Amino acid sequence: MSMVLRAEIALAAKVLPIARPLADFVAVNPLSGFESLPFGEAVARASALYGCSGYLRPEQYRALYTEGRITDADLRAALHRLWPQLDDTQRERALGSLVDATPLTMPPAMRRALTPVERYDQTHGTELTGTVNDHVVRWCSVFADQGQASWTLPGRHRGLYGAWHHLVVHDRAVPADVRTRLAAAPATAADAVQGAIDTLGAAAGSHRALFEAELTALPGWAAHLRWRSNTIGDVDLIDYLALRLTYEMAVLPEGAAARLGAPPANPPSEADDQLAVWQEAFEQHYRAELLALLRSDGTGTSDTAPPTPAPTPMRPAAQVVCCIDVRSEGLRRHLEALGPYETLGFAGFFAVAIWWRSLAGGDPLGNCPALINPRHAVGETITDGSLAAFQLAAQGQAALDDALHLTKDTPGTAFVLAEAAGWLTGPAAAARTIAPRRWRAWRQRTVDAATPRAHTHVDLSRFALGDRVVTARTALSMMGLTTNFARLVVMCGHTSETAANPYEAGLRCGACGGHGGGPNARVLAAVLNDPEVRAALAADGLVLPDDTVVIAAEHDTTTDEVTILDPHLVPTTHHEDLRQLGADLDAAGAALAAERCATLPGSPGVTLGSESGSAPATANAADARAGCTPELARADAQRRSSDWGEAFPEWGLAANAAMIVGPRSMTEGVDLGRRVFLHSYVAHADPGASGLETILTAPVVVAQWINCQYYFSTTDPHVFGAGTKTVHNPVGTVGVFAGRGGDLRMGLPIQSVAAGSTMVHEPLRLLVVVQAPRRAVNDIVERNPSLRALLVGHWITLVTRDDERDDWHEWTAHRIDQETTT
Amino acid sequence: MSYRDQLTRMTRIEVVITGDDVAAVRELLRSAGVPGFTMVSGVAGLGHGGFHQGSLLFNEHDSQSMLIAVTPDEEAEQLVAGLRELLKERSGVMFVSDTYVSRPEYFGASRSSGAADSAG
Repeated sequence: MSMVLRAEIALAAKVLPIARPLADFVAVNPLSGFESLPFGEAVARASALYGCSGYLRPEQYRALYTEGRITDADLRAALHRLWPQLDDTQRERALGSLVDATPLTMPPAMRRALTPVERYDQTHGTELTGTVNDHVVRWCSVFADQGQASWTLPGRHRGLYGAWHHLVVHDRAVPADVRTRLAAAPATAADAVQGAIDTLGAAAGSHRALFEAELTALPGWAAHLRWRSNTIGDVDLIDYLALRLTYEMAVLPEGAAARLGAPPANPPSEADDQLAVWQEAFEQHYRAELLALLRSDGTGTSDTAPPTPAPTPMRPAAQVVCCIDVRSEGLRRHLEALGPYETLGFAGFFAVAIWWRSLAGGDPLGNCPALINPRHAVGETITDGSLAAFQLAAQGQAALDDALHLTKDTPGTAFVLAEAAGWLTGPAAAARTIAPRRWRAWRQRTVDAATPRAHTHVDLSRFALGDRVVTARTALSMMGLTTNFARLVVMCGHTSETAANPYEAGLRCGACGGHGGGPNARVLAAVLNDPEVRAALAADGLVLPDDTVVIAAEHDTTTDEVTILDPHLVPTTHHEDLRQLGADLDAAGAALAAERCATLPGSPGVTLGSESGSAPATANAADARAGCTPELARADAQRRSSDWGEAFPEWGLAANAAMIVGPRSMTEGVDLGRRVFLHSYVAHADPGASGLETILTAPVVVAQWINCQYYFSTTDPHVFGAGTKTVHNPVGTVGVFAGRGGDLRMGLPIQSVAAGSTMVHEPLRLLVVVQAPRRAVNDIVERNPSLRALLVGHWITLVTRDDERDDWHEWTAHRIDQETTT
Repeated sequence: MSYRDQLTRMTRIEVVITGDDVAAVRELLRSAGVPGFTMVSGVAGLGHGGFHQGSLLFNEHDSQSMLIAVTPDEEAEQLVAGLRELLKERSGVMFVSDTYVSRPEYFGASRSSGAADSAG
C-alpha cells in the first residue's frame, strides 16, 4: 500500500471524535476534527458524514422566543454579527422572515457519505449494511477484550485483520458462499484495502470519501480503535478498514462493487443559516445577561479616574482553591456566605500531571488533563507503623475479588457459586435496592472494619525539587495567590461516587483525566508544605508565612460532602481552624445540595418543564427549593449516590455556558447558577502573562471541549449523545452498547442533559470572559493558531477588559480593540 | 579522500507538526520501515501563518514537535509522498536533505547503498 494512501487514512480519521475508555471518560468536542472550519461549516460537514443535527430544532428556538429567552434585539444583534453587510431595512426584513417563516419542523438530518453497501441498499432495497455492521461489531468486540473474557481471541497477535482473516472462514454465522470468497482475501490489511479500492475502481480523488464513509458508518468503534492505535498500539485503523471493506466486497453480489463505482468525492453539505442566527441570538441573550450581572456588582464604572489604592486586605479565615468546574461555583458561593473565606478557581489537577499509585494497589492512574501526558510518578506511603496490616488487608481484599471473578467466569463453578452464595446475595441485592442509603452506610462500616484506616502521606521522592519549585510557583502565580496567605490554604479537588454508572468518570474531574482530584490536591499541598520548596519560593520573593498550612480536600459533587484529606498531617496549632472550616464546608455542601436538589427529577418539590422544553440544571427557583431542606437534600443526594437504579445521580456540568478568567471580585456575591467555569487570575501576579497564556491555551480548551460535548449531546442525543442509559450495556471497559449490540455509543447519555422531554442543558457555545490587559490577550491569540481558529470560527466568544474600570471588548478577527460590546 | 567517503549517504527528513499530528507521522514512519527517529518537543517558529508558539505548558496537542528521521534514499520517495499528502491539509513543514551516517544499519539500510555509492 502506498504511503499516500496511508496518509489519506490518517486524514480521514480526523473526522472521528476522540474516544477514551469508560474509566478515563472525559468530555471532548465530538467535532474536534472540524475545528479548523467555522462552526456553521463544521456542523454542515459533520451532518453530511454522520447525519447529525448541530442546532436545536426550529420549534425549540421559537418556543424560547415566545418565552422571551430570545428577543427581537437578540435576533438583530445576531443578524448584525453573522451578516454585517445587511443594511437596517434588510436586517428588519430578515428578522421578520426569521420570526414568521422559520419552519416549525424540519426533516431529520440524513447521513450523505455512504459506504458501498449503503449505496447498494439504497438502490436495491436490500439490508446488507446491517449484516456488515453486525459482523464488524462482533469481531471488534472480541478483539477489544482486555482480559475480561476468560477465553482470548486465538491469533490475536496477528492484529485485528490478521486474526479475523485467519478465523472468519470458520465463522458459521457467515454464509458459506461469503466464506468461500473471504478465503481468497489478501493476507495483509494493506493489500486488502488496496484490493477493495481496485474492485470498486475508486480513483485517487475518491479515496478520502470512501475512507470517511467507512469510518463514520460505526464511528464509536472506529474512534475507539483510533484511540487504541495511538495508545496501546495493538491495532491499526488500516486493519479495521480492511476488515470492513473485505467483508463488504464479499457480501455484495458478483460484479456489483464494480458497477457501484467510486463514491462521490465530497458529499454536499449546506450550512443552515436560519438556525445559525437563532443559535447566535440565544447566546447573545445569555451573554448580555451575564455581563450585566458582573457590571451590577459595581465593578464596571468605566471612568477615567486613577484607581483607588486597594485597602490592605484582611487575612481570610482560609483560602479554598477549587477546580474551575462549574459545580465548584456553587460550593464557593455558599462557603463565602458563611464567613471570611476567600475562594479561588484553578484547573483541578492543580498543575501536577501525575501517574498516581494508591497504597491500596491497582494500576497507576493518569491524573492530568487529556491535553497532556503524566509527567511525574507519585504515590503514597504510610506515616505510622500500620503498613504491614494495611497491605495484608488490601491483599486479602484483592485475593477475594480475584477468587470471586474466577469463580463467576468459570462455567462449572458459576453454578456452585450461585448455590453457595445465592442465599446471601439475593437479600443483599434486595436491601441495596430498597434502602440504598442504609446499604451505603453499612458497606462503608464493613470496609472500615475490614481494612485498617491507614495514615498515609504523599511520597515526593520521585518528584525532583526543581520541578516541585516550578510547579508551586506556576500554580500560585496562575491563580493569583502570591500574598496575604491565610493560616489554612485548601486545595479542594472533586470526585463523584455513584452506583452502576458506566459514565461515573464523566462526573469526576475532567482535568484529572476522569478521575478524582484528591490525589492531585494532596500532591500540591505536600509540595507547598515542603520546606525546601518554600525556601526556594521565598528566595524568589514569594513568601508563604510559617503559620500557613496547606491541606487537601475533596468535594463529592453527587452528595456535596467535602472530605478533608490527610487530617493527621495538620499540626495541632491549626486544629481549631480546621474544625471550623470543616463545619462550614459541611454547611456549605448541605446548602448546595438543597439548591441542586431543586433541579433533579424525583426530588422533593421538583417540577421541571416549560413551553420550550427547557429548564436549566441551574434552576434556582425559590418555589422549587422550598420543599428541599438541607437535611432532606443531603439524604436525597446520598441515596442518589448509592442507588444503582438511579438514572439522575447529578447533573454533572449540564448548563455550562461561560468561563470567567479574573479575580473573584468580578463575581463575588453573584449567583452564577453553576453555569460558569471560574479560573482565578490577577494580572499583577503574572507580569510576563505566561500564566494567562497557559490558561487560554489549556483550561479554556478543556472548558470548550466540555462545552461542545454537552452541546452536541443535546442537539443530537442519538448521534453525538449516547441515547438513554436505561438500555446501556457496558462492553468490557471500552464503552457501552445500547441494547445487545451495535456501535459503541459516543457522548453523554440523555439523562445527563435532559429529563424526559425537558432540555436541562441549554446548548450555548462557550463565552470566555477575561479580565487582563487586552494587549497581552491579543498577543497570546496571535501566536497560538489553534486558539485563534476557535475564535475566528465562532467555536468560542472572547470578551475582555483591562480592569474593573474598563468596558467589555469582544475579540474579532480584527483584534479586540476595534470592537466594543455592551 | 574526503571524510564523507567513509560514511554512507542517506536521506534526512525533518517534519515540524503539531502534537495532534505526531501519531499520524509516527505511523507513516513505522509503515515505511523507518526503525527510529528523534523527536524535539516544543519547537517554535515563524511561518506563513504567523508566529507559532511551540511549547505550551499544559497543552501538548497544540504544541509543536519536530521529528527527524533518516532513511535509505530508495525508501525516501514513498515516505516523502505520504508526508506531503498529510501536510497538504495539516499545519507544518518538511525538510528533506542528504545526510551522511557512519552506521547505516541503524537506519534501515539493508541494501548496499553504502560508502561505495557516495564514493561513486
